[in-house]
Amino acid sequence: MIRLENVHKTLGGREILDGLNLEVKQGETLVILGRSGTGKSVTLRHIVGLMTPDRGRVEVLGQEISTHSQAALLKIRSRIGYLFQDGALLNWLNVADNVGLPLRERDLMPEKQIQERIEEVLVEVELDGHGEKMPSEISGGMRKRAGLARALVSRPEILLHDEPTSGLDPISSSIINGLIQKLHETGITQVMVTHDMNSAFEVADRIALLHAGTVIALGNADEIRESKDPAVQQFIHGLVEGPLGRETSSEFKSDQPDKEESDLS
Amino acid sequence: MKSWIENLGAFMGRYIAPVVSFLRRSADSTGFGLVLIIRTMLNFPHLFSRRRSRDCLDLCYNYCIGSFLVTSVVALFTGMILALNGGNSLEELGQESLIGPIVAVSMIREMGPFMTALILTASLGSGIAAEIGTMKISEEIDALRIMSIPPIRFLVLPRMVALTLVTPVMTIFAAFIGILGGSLVANSQFDVGWLAFRNDALETLEFVDVFTGMLKSVVFGITIAAVGCTQGLLTRGGATGVGQAARRSVVVTFLLVIILGYYLSWSFLS
Repeated sequence: MIRLENVHKTLGGREILDGLNLEVKQGETLVILGRSGTGKSVTLRHIVGLMTPDRGRVEVLGQEISTHSQAALLKIRSRIGYLFQDGALLNWLNVADNVGLPLRERDLMPEKQIQERIEEVLVEVELDGHGEKMPSEISGGMRKRAGLARALVSRPEILLHDEPTSGLDPISSSIINGLIQKLHETGITQVMVTHDMNSAFEVADRIALLHAGTVIALGNADEIRESKDPAVQQFIHGLVEGPLGRETSSEFKSDQPDKEESDLS
Repeated sequence: MKSWIENLGAFMGRYIAPVVSFLRRSADSTGFGLVLIIRTMLNFPHLFSRRRSRDCLDLCYNYCIGSFLVTSVVALFTGMILALNGGNSLEELGQESLIGPIVAVSMIREMGPFMTALILTASLGSGIAAEIGTMKISEEIDALRIMSIPPIRFLVLPRMVALTLVTPVMTIFAAFIGILGGSLVANSQFDVGWLAFRNDALETLEFVDVFTGMLKSVVFGITIAAVGCTQGLLTRGGATGVGQAARRSVVVTFLLVIILGYYLSWSFLS
């Protein structure tokens, strides 16, 4: 379903991905763990074609996307949903209009069906009755669920989550985890980037631990938990001393310059 | 020898490198802005879709309402100042009848477009840069790209078209209010009758004056929108970056409006 082979990416003079190899099978929920600045979000951006690798291959839904034209990329992206860290809702549209945005802008179905689909997906993320509210009127957890509803509205085959539980209280986190598990049962392929160990162990089929732009450990929740690798133990127990080091290198932010910035039309 | 080279290196690092970096950034954003205008023009047919035309009309309405009061006040007093200064000199020569033509031609040909452009730059151009910049840093632009919604079509096109339409409208409005202000002063301070003021002004005004003013306002409108959108889309670095984008959009547009205004006036006068 998703395959990254020997992917290298340098940003701002720093090698963010250093020969990353990763495969996600159909219907699987893969969680990517790692310290800040290790390339987790960059990996997601490669999968969705927001970034292209300097070297290596990125294959999504059976197609090599790093060499695709803009038009072909748009088609692939329409089969992928993406939940951003803060929901990335447009603040001048209410929740329902935000959720319906991809359907309306791409003229995917008649207005009546769009309304029905919005209602359906809002119920799915437990936001029914909140469609008329503006993003500024809802809590952080609700914004993430609205973002999830928008990602789900066009029935994607792949769903990518960028830190879906960050900044949420434990109850809101559990609601999000529950939704991810419910989606897993529907057979959707999911990749989730997180720092939240509880969330990772709760939802993951497999967990990949990223360090210095490459996968240093890969396995199911039990294998990761029981791993003898000191780097894995340092990360899952939050130990200050260990092979991963004390400090992270300068954290990569998505708003740092990249050559894909002009991909706007 | 070594210390001389070290001093030169330190000097270059401190004074030359920032200048080179600034020039490079300026060249990058100029190129980005020009490409943005071309891409927006290529997307022009999408303006006729129901959603984009509605967005554009909404923006036109908001832009007009948002700049109405400040444009009215500035235009009124600009016309009054023109009439007062011109009137004082002309009174000594016994040529008060020229107040109307001077105010009318100045407002329609030069002051109206220029003043309106500066007001819209400060109120709308910086707003566009801040709005799009905030969307950029909160990943909303990326969200649009992932949803296969081209940001140029969704954000830039309606803003550019709306400002290109609103600027001439507000320029005409500003010129009218300015002439009204001028006639108030001419009438109250220099005893120039309303009718005489109007007739003198209309006799002097030529089609080329109105055409020059309108052409300038259209060029200024495109410039304000293009710079605002460019600076917004190039925003990086959080809240500080948004502030810098808004500030840069005002500075760059002011410079471009003055330079373009001069060359447009020059091309028509020559």
